Amino acid sequence: MSPRPGDRASLTSRLLIYGLLVVFGLMTLLPFIWMLCASIKTKGDFYTSQFLPPGHGFLGVAWDRLTLSQFAQLFRDLPVARAMLNSVFLASVCSVVATLCCAAGGYGLAKFRFRGRETVTSAILGTVVVPTALLLGPSFETLFHLGLVDHYAGFILPTLAPAFGLYLFRQAMVNSVPPDIIEAARIDGCGEIRIFFQIVLPIIRPMLSAFLVISFIGIWNNFITPQIVLQSPERYPLSVAIFSLRGLYGDDNSLIMAGTLVAIAPVMLLFLLLQREFISGLTSGAVKG
Amino acid sequence: MSSARFASSRALSPGIWIILLLAVVSTTGVLLMPAPERGGAVLWTFIDYNGKNYASILAAWNRAHPDTRLQAKVIEYAALQRRMLTGFFSGTPTADLLEVERSIANRAFIGPLDRVGFVDLTDYLRADGLTDEIAPAVYTPWSSRGRIFGIPIGFHPVLLAYRADLVEAAGIDVSQIETWDDFFRLLRPLMFDRNGDGQPDRYLLSGWNNNPNTIDILLLQADAQLFDPAGRPTLDTPRNAEILARLVSWFAGPNRIAADASDFTFAGNRQRLEGYVVATFMPDWLAGSWRKDLTPLAGKVKLMPLPAWERGGRRTSAWGGTMIGIAKSAPRPAEKWELVKMLYFSRELAETNFNEFLIVSPLRRHHHLPMYDRPDPYFCGQPVGRLYLDQENNVPTRPSSPYTQEALRLALDVLGTLKQHAEATGRYDAASLEPLAHQLLAEAQRSLLRQIARNPFLLAAP
Amino acid sequence: MNSARPHPAWVPWVFIAPFVVIFGTFAVWPLLRSLQLAFEQTCGAQTHVFVGLKNFRYLVLDPMFWQAMGNTILFTVGTVAVQVPLALGLALLLNRPDLRGRAVFRLIFFSPSLIGMVFVAMLFSPLLEKRTGLVNIWLHALLPAWNIEFAWLETYSMTALILASVWMGAGFMMVYFLAALQHVPRELTDAASIDGAGPWQRFWHVVLPEIRPVVGLMTLLAAVGSMQLFDLPYLLLGETGGLNGRGLTIVMYLYQTGFTVGDLGYASAIGWVLALLLIGLALVQRRLARRTRED
Repeated sequence: MSPRPGDRASLTSRLLIYGLLVVFGLMTLLPFIWMLCASIKTKGDFYTSQFLPPGHGFLGVAWDRLTLSQFAQLFRDLPVARAMLNSVFLASVCSVVATLCCAAGGYGLAKFRFRGRETVTSAILGTVVVPTALLLGPSFETLFHLGLVDHYAGFILPTLAPAFGLYLFRQAMVNSVPPDIIEAARIDGCGEIRIFFQIVLPIIRPMLSAFLVISFIGIWNNFITPQIVLQSPERYPLSVAIFSLRGLYGDDNSLIMAGTLVAIAPVMLLFLLLQREFISGLTSGAVKG
Repeated sequence: MSSARFASSRALSPGIWIILLLAVVSTTGVLLMPAPERGGAVLWTFIDYNGKNYASILAAWNRAHPDTRLQAKVIEYAALQRRMLTGFFSGTPTADLLEVERSIANRAFIGPLDRVGFVDLTDYLRADGLTDEIAPAVYTPWSSRGRIFGIPIGFHPVLLAYRADLVEAAGIDVSQIETWDDFFRLLRPLMFDRNGDGQPDRYLLSGWNNNPNTIDILLLQADAQLFDPAGRPTLDTPRNAEILARLVSWFAGPNRIAADASDFTFAGNRQRLEGYVVATFMPDWLAGSWRKDLTPLAGKVKLMPLPAWERGGRRTSAWGGTMIGIAKSAPRPAEKWELVKMLYFSRELAETNFNEFLIVSPLRRHHHLPMYDRPDPYFCGQPVGRLYLDQENNVPTRPSSPYTQEALRLALDVLGTLKQHAEATGRYDAASLEPLAHQLLAEAQRSLLRQIARNPFLLAAP
Repeated sequence: MNSARPHPAWVPWVFIAPFVVIFGTFAVWPLLRSLQLAFEQTCGAQTHVFVGLKNFRYLVLDPMFWQAMGNTILFTVGTVAVQVPLALGLALLLNRPDLRGRAVFRLIFFSPSLIGMVFVAMLFSPLLEKRTGLVNIWLHALLPAWNIEFAWLETYSMTALILASVWMGAGFMMVYFLAALQHVPRELTDAASIDGAGPWQRFWHVVLPEIRPVVGLMTLLAAVGSMQLFDLPYLLLGETGGLNGRGLTIVMYLYQTGFTVGDLGYASAIGWVLALLLIGLALVQRRLARRTRED
């Protein structure tokens, strides 16, 4: 490749670009850094220093005044471990089943012709813009009539059929699953269920993992539904449990920041592990479609 | 077929594997978790210390009554409110006993009387001869349309806490103070600009025109009632207009004496330690919280009755409050009533509440207890309990309308507009602001009536 | 379908049944129910009477509703106006072919969008505090004229909310813009360069038309999301939206009427007005997108 105009920018403009990126990057990261520092400071040091408490140690920081006692308190005295288990449980189970439901539904609507297909499709896709808050009250009523209030199932079931997920999978099926492959498999005598699991799902694999991670994070961060539906403290996910700290330990900002850190760390970790497939899966639909 | 098999061997990407694994492990974990302990009655409370406080009382009760056990569950304030209201509104069961704060409790009084989620305790109190145990005004926040739905933990009279060190060093004798005017005149020398930035570094009173607590305390003290005894809003009274107009000069203009040192925040507490504000509205529970959290002020603070609005006027007010009530969904309410009596009428609770948190009992049978006369070193040796109990019969009647917060919000809006108007015109005196106050309050009254008129269930509404 | 062995008629239903059953129970049914509720006066689920259009008539004159609407529109416009250019700018910076560390920067900018609103609220509430918050302290240090008592949460609630939501959302949007930019064919920009177009002209006349569908879609999604703002102000400012309702949004008002006051009927009426608004937004965007495609 021969050098093109615009590829090799002058030194000043390159410095400017890196400078801007670093400034914005720092602005993005600052709240995280601040939270990390806040979570290992003592309650007394919280307001006296912006980041780490000043002292006579290395780099002028009082390293000996740092503490992990907040984390110990979270896991030993407060039910944070249980909340973490609940969060992992709800997020993973909901995302796995929702992904399957949406993939199957999207496949059914995209690859088959049958009476009522148009009605079902437009009924589902029409609700994409309905504000979720509108359903809050009547959904609670429905859960109550089904006897699901304060049960895990009362939280899990309504999350299993997101209209947006169906839309994404229907698109993915239309765009990337050629009808010939399905026909060929049928001619080979392959069963319908097997076609779905062994041929169709592998083709839309990027979409599968992206949607799985999106749902996982979405459920993990959901606050208002578990607040209403899951009423016993032993069923609280982290979002509710950590927020509750504000009521009882409102003056202990170090503890609250430690709790927040504990609650966002697993999602960050998951994302770091999976970021490549996640970001490409995330953008593929929107950019191509 | 071979192509299909080839594809499926790579079908699961790492992300899918990880989440599947998490699903399996966590499901196992959740299934293995022991089921929560059931059996016996449950109490929801939002105050952690109450949970701990009850521990010994509950343990003793549970040992003696294995058939009617009671366990307390601490739930965060906002979550408790949401849970209680969704339960009441949808008819889903809540805990058997609920310990809730005033602003939450009155939300339950919005529907028809027979649909209030709490058990009506009026007849229980009467049958047990307990009605006169508590001053009638103390019951009003917990009553609706004449029926009592909760037993209060205290009556929370408000005194004025002041920095005795600063006041006495200036040679000021607070015993000469009877009215707010006296207070401002005598203490005014304490307000001066030490660092020369043109702004005083010390103000006389902690509070602000947009702080609902500040304004609620002052309106109650002045008998500027936002509701009549039947629960109808009475925003546009001459008294309300007068008091709001008089309040403007406290927060703005050349005679401003108040500053915003917020409660329960680090910033506010630091300002208190620095002496940024001289006096603070001090209900009994806040006195307890200061004694616990603001230890550097020990021996520097004293309590006095609030200065009155007029000579001979009321020297106290009320702030805050928590009640215990029985949920209608609770089975065997008579049994739950015994639990309520055991908790709220016990001498043990009165003692812990005072010794730990300086909350004085609303029950007259405990008022003779010697602990209330004990000098408290934090408050320079004053008999704190007695100072609060002396105000028992002066505590103002508080409304229980579910629209109380809304009415107060409207009053704050009026005050805010008055303040802006005063700043724009440069006239801060009450006389010139009163006509505008009248007009704004009349608008607020109309808006509140319109809101209430929507509710066909609240029978007391006109 | 012309297949050798046509599938039986029940096959598609096997695939869509789980979704349809759950969707019907937990989305369609509540939706129909909310339509019914919008015409009822309720006090909790057990007490209700049919009142016809009363809820909607009240809503038209309800100052709280209009305040919430004003706040929400302000927030939406503010967020979109800051976030879209910011995200596009970051994407353009990252799109330079000779840039090193693109993956790292992308990761950094994207990371805040992984955090739930509830945690963002918990993080920002100490950061935005009046005199001890980092934001005020730093602004005061940079600009000595900055008042360290600047009341982000009490007085400038919407500014605070926009700040927090831009911090959260800009990186998410940027990822989409970056992906779109990378799909812009090199030949187009190269041709423009050869024709003597400067960087600004190249962006305006060549790049922007290419990525316009994505920009439009992301703007719509951000607007639809912003119009439904709830968690952030609810957690940051409290249930009534802070001082004088300065941070009250439509969904907060809906929640307050439905769950605190117990008036699910009025809450449903508010919800339906919001739903119609969002559908209107989506239709406008679709029409705009179609027009650009026809151009």
